Amino acid sequence: MQKSLEDKFLNDFETNQNIVHKICRIYTTNQSDHNDLFQEITIQVWKNYSKFRGDAKFSTWMYRVALNTAISLYRKSTRSVKTQDFSDLEFKIKSVEYDDTEEQQLKSLYKAIQVLNDIEKALVFLYLEGKHYKEISETLGISEGNARVKMNRAKDKLKKILNP
Amino acid sequence: MDVLDKYKKAWNNQPNDSEKVSKVDIYKMMKSKSSSIVKWILIISILEFLIPHVVFLFVDYDEYNKIYSDLGLGELAFYGFIITYIISAFFIYKFYCSYKNISTTLDTKSLMDKILKTRKTVKTYFIVNLSLFSIYTTIFSIVSLYDKLKPASSYKVFIFIISLIIVLSVSILLFWLFYQLLYGFLLRKLYGNYKDLAKLDEISQ
Repeated sequence: MQKSLEDKFLNDFETNQNIVHKICRIYTTNQSDHNDLFQEITIQVWKNYSKFRGDAKFSTWMYRVALNTAISLYRKSTRSVKTQDFSDLEFKIKSVEYDDTEEQQLKSLYKAIQVLNDIEKALVFLYLEGKHYKEISETLGISEGNARVKMNRAKDKLKKILNP
Repeated sequence: MDVLDKYKKAWNNQPNDSEKVSKVDIYKMMKSKSSSIVKWILIISILEFLIPHVVFLFVDYDEYNKIYSDLGLGELAFYGFIITYIISAFFIYKFYCSYKNISTTLDTKSLMDKILKTRKTVKTYFIVNLSLFSIYTTIFSIVSLYDKLKPASSYKVFIFIISLIIVLSVSILLFWLFYQLLYGFLLRKLYGNYKDLAKLDEISQ
């Protein structure tokens, strides 16, 4: 029973791990913290996996657990944003087949998101992932109207950082 | 076209396989130990509960009871212990309920709310313990020194009371600072995020 649950978890988690990597990239500033947060999210998703009923998509459920871990349970903070070295980040998103312009845009986008606070990061992340306001408000525990207000502010802030 | 749309396109097209973790490594990770804030709060509260009780393991009970009996505080010490254990049992139950309710499957605001409530329970437990410590110390000091102070001048009694207040205040302050430092370190980031979410709800209400 436990073995089959573990196998199912490993399949689900491996397939959707890119979500976790993206969250780790926006909430950490170096490879070591990225790995730590990735591990903590893995533990939290596994710990709660038996509660996952399958009435929602695994990825939808995982967004909530992973973001909660990054915002609420993970202790290391990104205090040194201004002085951080982004070489790790550049390494992480480098790909031979990836379009050069888009690669530059992606680097700028990650750099800009790093400047936002934890809640704004979550909002912008969910927006970029194409989530609807209903899902965003349910994930964060605020009303849909508040999610809209907060999202607009976060997007404006992001635009100013990207195009000062 | 919104300026963010082109970035969104780049976001959607980002490579997914640049740092893929194998199933074997995921398996190792899922079996490893968590280092979450909640786990640390749990460890600290268990230590807060256990340390005073571990100290009592090294106390000679007969001698301890004799000191209280000689001072005529035998009954007070007995009821004091019972009260302390009832309070401890109540808080252990509260801690258990709090931790059972904390789950990352909740929405973010509720999760933070529950973590902060748990922290409040730990804080209340700490304050109750500190108050009991102050009450017991005050009674013990007054009763044990009563005979020596009886023939003394009112000036000496005044000095004694002031010294007692100062010693107790400094001990409480030190405990309090230690507590703030400990939990402040753990919860500063969480509290900031919680305020950020809660602020918006307050504004719109």
